[in-house]
Amino acid sequence: MNEITLDVNGTPYKVAVEDTTLLLDALRRRVGVTSAREGCGVGACGACTVLAEGRSVSSCLAVAVRYDGTPLTTADGLPEDDPVVSSFVDSDAMQCGYCIPGFVLMTKELLSENRSPSDEEISDHLEGNICRCATYPEIIKAVRLAAKRSAT
Amino acid sequence: MTEVLPDAQPADTRQAETEPRYGVGERRKRFDALGRVRGTIRYTGDEANPPGTAFVGVHRSTAPHARIVAVHTEDALAVEGVLAVVTGRDLYEVLGDRIYTGPAFADQPCLAVDKTRFVGEAIAAVLATDPDTARAAADEIAVEYEELPPVYDIDDALRGEAFVHEELRPSSVFADLAHLRGVRGTNVNYEYRQILGDAAAEHERAATTVTATTWAPPTHHVPIELPSTSAWVDSGRLEMLSTTQTPSYVRQTVSDLLDIPLSQVRIMTRPLGGSFGCKMYDRLEPLAAALAWTTGRRVRIDATREDAFLLTTRHGARVTGSMSADADGNIVAVTSDVRYDTGAFADVGPRIAAKSGLVAPGPYRIAAVDVRSRCIYTNKVSAGPFRGFGVPQVTWSHETLIDELARELGEDPYRFRRRHLLREGDIATVGTKMHSADFLTCIDEVTRAVGWDDPTPEGDGRWVHGKGVAVGMKAVLTPTIANATLNLNQDGSATLLISTVDMGQGSDTIMSQIVGEVLSLDSRRIHVVRADTDATPYDTITAGSRSTYHTGNAVRLVAEAMRNKLLGFAAERWGVPAEELVLDAQGVVHEAKELRGSLSDLVRAKFGARGATVTTAENFTSWWVPYDHDTGLSEKVTEHWFAGAAAVRLAVDIWTGRIRTQHLAIAGDVGRAINPTLVEQQLTGAAIMGIGHTLFDEMVFDQGQITNATMLDYQLPSIKDLPEKLTPVIVESAHRDGPFGAKGVGETTILPIAPAYAGAVRDACGVRITTLPLTPERVLNHLADAADPGKAGR
Ligand code: FES
Ligand code: FES
Repeated sequence: MNEITLDVNGTPYKVAVEDTTLLLDALRRRVGVTSAREGCGVGACGACTVLAEGRSVSSCLAVAVRYDGTPLTTADGLPEDDPVVSSFVDSDAMQCGYCIPGFVLMTKELLSENRSPSDEEISDHLEGNICRCATYPEIIKAVRLAAKRSAT
Repeated sequence: MTEVLPDAQPADTRQAETEPRYGVGERRKRFDALGRVRGTIRYTGDEANPPGTAFVGVHRSTAPHARIVAVHTEDALAVEGVLAVVTGRDLYEVLGDRIYTGPAFADQPCLAVDKTRFVGEAIAAVLATDPDTARAAADEIAVEYEELPPVYDIDDALRGEAFVHEELRPSSVFADLAHLRGVRGTNVNYEYRQILGDAAAEHERAATTVTATTWAPPTHHVPIELPSTSAWVDSGRLEMLSTTQTPSYVRQTVSDLLDIPLSQVRIMTRPLGGSFGCKMYDRLEPLAAALAWTTGRRVRIDATREDAFLLTTRHGARVTGSMSADADGNIVAVTSDVRYDTGAFADVGPRIAAKSGLVAPGPYRIAAVDVRSRCIYTNKVSAGPFRGFGVPQVTWSHETLIDELARELGEDPYRFRRRHLLREGDIATVGTKMHSADFLTCIDEVTRAVGWDDPTPEGDGRWVHGKGVAVGMKAVLTPTIANATLNLNQDGSATLLISTVDMGQGSDTIMSQIVGEVLSLDSRRIHVVRADTDATPYDTITAGSRSTYHTGNAVRLVAEAMRNKLLGFAAERWGVPAEELVLDAQGVVHEAKELRGSLSDLVRAKFGARGATVTTAENFTSWWVPYDHDTGLSEKVTEHWFAGAAAVRLAVDIWTGRIRTQHLAIAGDVGRAINPTLVEQQLTGAAIMGIGHTLFDEMVFDQGQITNATMLDYQLPSIKDLPEKLTPVIVESAHRDGPFGAKGVGETTILPIAPAYAGAVRDACGVRITTLPLTPERVLNHLADAADPGKAGR
């Protein structure tokens, strides 16, 4: 067992983990995060996405100890008026909603690297996230709107 | 003078009338949109595990068909953290034959008892202090098998040399299957026939006949949320929280399984993270209930993705069909032999064989039909309900046939279909008169959207272009029962209790729109309670696109009953006849006497208490005329029909076999769109799922074993598979009995996608592919075969 600090949305949590404990499990079982979720467990769906220092990580593939002290962002840590959050809401970019927090964080990452992505750049960046409800048209609208809102 | 009741609230002003009410027909947002975006709404798996929870790991069969000689559990029991190991035999000692459950046939043991029937069947369960230990210990279990001859596919099954079940065991759920009890020596658990006229003679006389054998493979639903179930015993009652679309069904099943009264079983749900049919009927629930009941522990089963692939699938189906036309181009006969591979358990396959078999000829005016639709056991994962309920598989056949027939006759595939499509008042081949199934508008709209008559691009020698169209027809699940209870709160808000499960379709939102419309309330003030069998009333299931119509009608009725009750309160108070009162956005009004009272004041005046509630309850039950046993015909086989169409323009890369979708247009007749935004999302969502089934979705089996049961290997549509242009069209041909004319929508546009694509590929490069999916390799093989006529394509 290791005692590590998970710095989640600005709050430090001291948690005990094994060497092999996955970041996803540590966040869900020890910290109580609900927005990172298991969909595949093999890095193929994006439902478990979190941001580590702003960069997307599939937390189902990451071991928790490696993120000791690293600033982590999960979707529930974003404010209501975050431009990406509000754009997803205003674009009706959700059906069952299970996959959506992952898309939100991927969009945060994309817009931090590229302020006005083309549609092709949007789909290139979001390709690894699966939405089985196929909310893709609304997600694309949401990302375009978020780019506009982030620019102003 | 306007009488104002005491304590009128300042919110009840004239101005409110101009404020939006978010009623029927409005593009209102989902009530919990922000929670879904930020990930703060709680799904089943987000609920905390109280200390003492036992996590369950399952040991699964490695043999497709074998007698279980011995299950060795000692090594698993010795693992630190293991609380108990339970085998099928252990449960059988307690439950006896009640261990076998299932909606049509009681053939699914929650743990295999004497025999295993597919690779992956649950054999034993380990209860441990944490999930990882439970799974690791499950691997320590060793099973001795005595192999039996396996039945790998439909052909093996029909040869009748080995049988998956010794005898058929119809469940007590469907009375019409009782005559099959005890039938031995067959793998066919159900057969539906539809006979209209003399199809053989008509084929004989016909001028033109086309024949095709189509194959649609098993596919998986893969909702992103994995199934999860917790069960515990509280004061002698069995309580569960589960990812299910069928809480009322599960309650009955658990009550039968444990032999305890319905009132001693409680099933709770949360919103589902998608389902598409895989979280219904008997999945994890019987096992969780049996483990909790027999061990007295609180148990939790979380399926991994690999487990989820083993819980249910869409039926693979082979259809051999013929369609004939006379010299004038009238369709005179259709013959269809439909074979559904249901795997090891019948599940709801017999219902699929009948309810989808009945539309096998297609939505056309046809003089004579002969349908034989069979549900067949094999030693593979059990197939069950999946968006479309078996209809995509038969649509794949009839739309292939009519497309080929049109081409054979030198006619345009759109106009040929159009001439023969069923119209309002026509009698479908199954014998039922058509109402509110607007195929014509659907097909006209999609072909118009893609510019059907515009010239097809020339192509560059590598990319060739084509267009295709198809329709889809489905009956809504009938008969079913829906109930609703409504509490009007003293503050003028309302709480609706129904057992419809919101799994992304947005039912909680549209049901509140219906209440709001009837009561002239802002629908955002209406809360819908999540299905909980201790509180919410019986509802057959949330499936088959039945909820908008059935539950929607119950909800409309319960709101109307509430309106009448409230008018009665005011009539009593004011001493006027209730008929002279109306309910509007300000409350109850008597125009002539200028009397007015807000709902809030009326309730307060009636009960003299703040926070009081007024309750109404209503039921809606649909009816049908069961089909004739010999002919399969019925004058009312369903409460209503879904009509959908798709038209596509695409390009095929003849070097690589790749297909690029340039424009896909889809239309569904929804009767009336309660919320057009949610309807469009259902139309496009089903169409994109259909693109997956058309181009790559497929469960691959090798000797009965799934070889692609992970999301790395099982391909699903990503954002990159979106058509370059996608046009959803809502067609509203109001249903006379629907709530505000509405019908369901969830399945409509998955039906016609694959045949529309295959028709377009045929148009682009002259090859007719009858096996799904249309992978690049398959396209290339067909192109090669077409170039070398000596070979036949597959
Ligand atoms: S759960 Fe991590 S990528 Fe799917
Ligand atoms: S909204 Fe359901 S999986 Fe994306």
